[in-house]
Amino acid sequence: MSERFAKCALIVTLASAAFGCAGAKVAVPTGFPVPQVAKVPLPVGLYLDEALLSYVHRESLEQRGDWEIELGSAQRPMFDTLLSGLFIGHRSVNQLGASHDDIAGVLAPSIEELQLAIPEQTRSEYYEVWIRYRFELHANDGEKLGQWDLTAYGKAHQQNHAGASAALQSAALVACRDAMAFFTQQFGKVPVVRTWLDSELGGPA
Amino acid sequence: MRSVRITAFLLAGAGLHGCVTATVQEVTTGDSIVVLGRRSQPTASETELDFISCVADNMSRGQNALNVVSEQRFLDATFPWFEPRIAPLNHTELPTIIKQAPLAERLDEMGLKYLVWIEGSTQRIDSGGSLSCVVGPGGGGCFGFLSWENDSAYEASVWDVETGQAAGKISSEATGMSYMPAVIVPIPLIARVRSSACTSLANQLKSFVVN
Repeated sequence: MSERFAKCALIVTLASAAFGCAGAKVAVPTGFPVPQVAKVPLPVGLYLDEALLSYVHRESLEQRGDWEIELGSAQRPMFDTLLSGLFIGHRSVNQLGASHDDIAGVLAPSIEELQLAIPEQTRSEYYEVWIRYRFELHANDGEKLGQWDLTAYGKAHQQNHAGASAALQSAALVACRDAMAFFTQQFGKVPVVRTWLDSELGGPA
Repeated sequence: MRSVRITAFLLAGAGLHGCVTATVQEVTTGDSIVVLGRRSQPTASETELDFISCVADNMSRGQNALNVVSEQRFLDATFPWFEPRIAPLNHTELPTIIKQAPLAERLDEMGLKYLVWIEGSTQRIDSGGSLSCVVGPGGGGCFGFLSWENDSAYEASVWDVETGQAAGKISSEATGMSYMPAVIVPIPLIARVRSSACTSLANQLKSFVVN
């Protein structure tokens, strides 16, 4: 009886694996590269709230299982690394709206939305992840200067990874790197940031 | 550094052929090269990661072995300039990018001489036959015959990092038929098409930059 049960369990397991309905549960790795760009000669603050630091995306796909991406634990190393490459100095702040004499402003990122797609949904060969970040910029007196959104995208070809978990993790990591790259490239071009930089660095009014 | 102009057409074995047009400079001791896959846009045929590492491995071994920087190490060291969203699509964009001071320092530290972009993939172009397997409480087995044909087509663009010029392009193509007869146990007879294309492309790239 137990042998028969074991064989049935094996067949069900193999069938689940073959049809990819098991889903996946992944956490984004916490190692990120430092941007190789000229640093802005200002020290800034970084505010990461609990919602961001504990961010988990869970999604049940019909007949495709349950999917989970844990992004929260990667957010502090990601933004610490990003700001260490972009600014001459940065430190964490514990609350928004407070006044700080030792920094020029405070950056507060949040995740507004995350979407994922698996090959069976899109009839492609890619696992894909989209992350919509929202960034708030506060002056060093605590006043909110403005906000802007940034949509990052990551994909991973299923042929390059051993299984759905590895591919989804890779797509999520690529999306985080894309967010860092896009932020690095676009930061100085965002109007509210441009105005803030001009005021802090004595540029055009 | 001596400039060498090479124009060669190579035929390498049945079903495997490639073509080379090149204007290159010799690589000297301390110079390095990096092999990158194009991942700018979602396409149906992204170059396989293991093909990129296969070409890099083959170039760093054997006769005229080159100092090849791994793709991941290069991407991390030059972040974010070669990330999918930002990476230069044309060699004419390279001079502007490599002028960025921190990036220029990283490239100097690596001694990077050439940057190789690889595009292409291996596709199944034909398949036939049938094979059925049965699994029961008393055991299982398969019966039938499958065959399929794979086609590999890759192109490598070589950019000179110092001059910001396109040094040349190399292509490698290979086709092969694989078979899987099954009488109880399937016996796969796999044509190593991608491996052949990898070896061919790596050898051509080596002779391209080393002479």
